[in-house]
Amino acid sequence: MIKADRWIGLLLALFSLYVCIESVRLGLGTFQRPGPGFLPFSAGATLGVLSLALISLAHFGRTEKREAWQNPGHVLMVFLALLGFTLLVEWLGFILSAFLLVCFLLKIVEGRGWGFSVGVAMVVAGASYVIFDVWLRAQLPAGFLAS
Amino acid sequence: MEAIEGLLYGLSLALTLKNLAFVFAGVFLGTLVGVLPGIGPAAAISLLLPATFHADPISSMIMLCGLYYGTMYGGSTTSILANIPGEAASIVTCFDGYQMARQGRAGPALGIAAFGSFFAGTIAVVGLMFLAPTLASFALKFGSPEYFSLMVMAMTLVTYLSQGSVLKGLMMAALGLTLSAVGLDPVTSTLRFTYETLVLRDGVGIVPVVMGLFGVSEVLLNVGKTMNREILQSTIKGLFPNRQDWRDSSLPIVRGSMLGFVLGIIPGLGTIIPTFLSYGLEKRLSRHPEKFGTGAIEGVAAPESCNNAAATANFVPMLSLGIPANPIMAILLGALTVYGLQPGPLLITEHSDLFWGVIASMYLANIMLLVLNLPLIPLWVQILKIPYTILYPLILLFTLIGSYSLNNNLGDVIVMCLFGGVGFLMKKFRFEPAPLVLALVLGPMLEDNLRQALLISGGSFATFFTRPLSAAFLIVSLVTLLLPLLKLRPAVQLLQHED
Repeated sequence: MIKADRWIGLLLALFSLYVCIESVRLGLGTFQRPGPGFLPFSAGATLGVLSLALISLAHFGRTEKREAWQNPGHVLMVFLALLGFTLLVEWLGFILSAFLLVCFLLKIVEGRGWGFSVGVAMVVAGASYVIFDVWLRAQLPAGFLAS
Repeated sequence: MEAIEGLLYGLSLALTLKNLAFVFAGVFLGTLVGVLPGIGPAAAISLLLPATFHADPISSMIMLCGLYYGTMYGGSTTSILANIPGEAASIVTCFDGYQMARQGRAGPALGIAAFGSFFAGTIAVVGLMFLAPTLASFALKFGSPEYFSLMVMAMTLVTYLSQGSVLKGLMMAALGLTLSAVGLDPVTSTLRFTYETLVLRDGVGIVPVVMGLFGVSEVLLNVGKTMNREILQSTIKGLFPNRQDWRDSSLPIVRGSMLGFVLGIIPGLGTIIPTFLSYGLEKRLSRHPEKFGTGAIEGVAAPESCNNAAATANFVPMLSLGIPANPIMAILLGALTVYGLQPGPLLITEHSDLFWGVIASMYLANIMLLVLNLPLIPLWVQILKIPYTILYPLILLFTLIGSYSLNNNLGDVIVMCLFGGVGFLMKKFRFEPAPLVLALVLGPMLEDNLRQALLISGGSFATFFTRPLSAAFLIVSLVTLLLPLLKLRPAVQLLQHED
C-alpha cells in the first residue's frame, strides 16, 4: 500500500456511491426479474466495500513510499497535446492537426531543432494521410480545407 | 480424423495468395512491434483492427493472430541485443540472452530463441487444434448458471494472478463490471449512464479502452525516461547454435513448450507468468543453476519456447468458450463481434472456416517467422537504433488514427485519451489494468447469464450451487479469493523476487 491509496480509495468510494444511487434510480427489479440497475448496483456496492477496505488498510497498515515521477511536465504536455489534437482535428482537418501534433512533440516536448521537427512532421502527416485515408479508406476529417 | 480433415480444409483457405499476404503482413508487423519497445501487442492489434474492416473476417483474424505471435518472436531480439524486452513476455529472456550477447554469442541466442519458438508454436497449434473443438462441444452442455460461474472464475483467476495487490485487482474488476453496464440494457432497452451522448449508447468500447490503457499509457510512462538502448552487436554472425547448445537446449525447449501450453489455457496467466515459471523450473532442474543469469542458453531456450506455446494456448478458451485469457484475447474477441460473429462454443461449428483457417495460418505463420526472422535481424537492429523520441509521436498519431477509424467518431478518441491518462495513473499507483479489461469484456455476458439463470430459477441463487459444474467453478473462485488471506501468492511473484 502507498499513502495515496487513502485518497484513491475515497475517490472510488464516492464514485461507487454515485453508481449505486443511479442504479437504484434505474430500477433494481426483483431476484426473479432483475432490473437494469441490478448489475451496476452489485458491482458498485462491491467497489464501495473494497474501496473502504483499501482506505482502512492504507490508513492503519504499513505504507511504502511511492516511486518518484520522472518528468511530470513532459507527461502533462504529451497528454494535453493528445487532447488538443482531439479538439482541433474536426476543424483543422487531419493533415494540419497531425502536422501540429508531431511538430509540437518533437520541438516543444523533445527540444529538437525547428528544421528537423517541421520536416519530420510534414513527412509523417503526409505519409499517414496517404496510407490511412487514401489507401485504407479511413475517412479522416478533412476540416475547413475541404470547404 | 475430424481434426485432420479440418486442417486440410483450413489449409485450402489459408494457402490462397490473399491470405498468405495477410499472414505475412501479420507476422512482419508483429515482429516489428515485438522489436520496438513502447508498443505492445495489445496496442498494435487495436491499432490495426480498423484497417481490417475492409477485409473478410477470416483474412482479418489471420492477420491479427499472426501479429500476436509475431510479437512473441520479435520480443526476444531486443531482450538479447539491447537488454530491453520488446514486450513483457520477453523479460526473462534478458537474464541470459543479454549476457550471451555480451560474451559475443548473440547469434546462437537469437537462433535458439527462433528455433525454440518455432517448435513450441507448432506443438501448441497441434494442441489447440485437438483441444478447442473438444472443449467447445463440452461447453455446449453449459446452461446460464455454468456460464455465469465460469466467468466469475475467469475474473477471479485474472485478479489473483495479476501482479500487485489482490485487493486492488478486485477493485479494478468491480470497476470494469460497472463500466460494462454503460449503454443500452439488452432486456429492458433502458439507457444506463449514457448522459445523452451518442458514443456511450453502445457501451464503453473495448478497443479504445485497451488502446488507452495499454498504448497511450505506455507512451506516457516512457516519455522523459532515459532509455539505454545500447546495441551490443550490429552484425550478427553464427545464428545456428552448435552441437553443445542443442544438447543443452533440447529438453528445456520441450519442457518450456509443454508448460507454456498447459498454463496458457488458464485465464489470467497470459504469457508472462509461464515464462517466469519455465525459467525457474529450468534453474531448479539444471546441474549448474549458478550459470543462470550469466549466459546459460537454457535460460533463453525455455522461456522463449514457453511464451510462444502460451500465446497459442491463449486461443483455446477464447475460441472454444468465448472467454479471453488476457487483454489481447479480449481485443480479438471484440474483433470477432465487430466482424458480426458471435464468440462462444458455437463459433467452431457455425464458423468452421474461420476456426480452421486461423489454425492453418498458425502453422504457416510459424514457418514464415522462422524463415523471415533470422535473415531480417540486421533490419531489426537498424530499427532499434531509431530513438524513442522520434518513435513515440508516430505511435501516438497511429493510436489516434486507429481509435478514430473505429466508427469515424471523435467520441472513441476521447475515450482512448481519457483511459490513456487513467492507465498512466493506474500504473503509477500500482493498479493492474488486466482485471478491468477482462471485466469490461465479460460484463455484458455475465449480466445476461445471471439474469437468465435467476429468471429460470424463480429468483433462487441456489441454482449456482446445486449444479455440479457451476458449483465447482464457484468453489475455485472462492478458494482463489481466500488464498491471499492465507498469505499465499502466485509462485511467479516468488520467482520474480528470487531472480
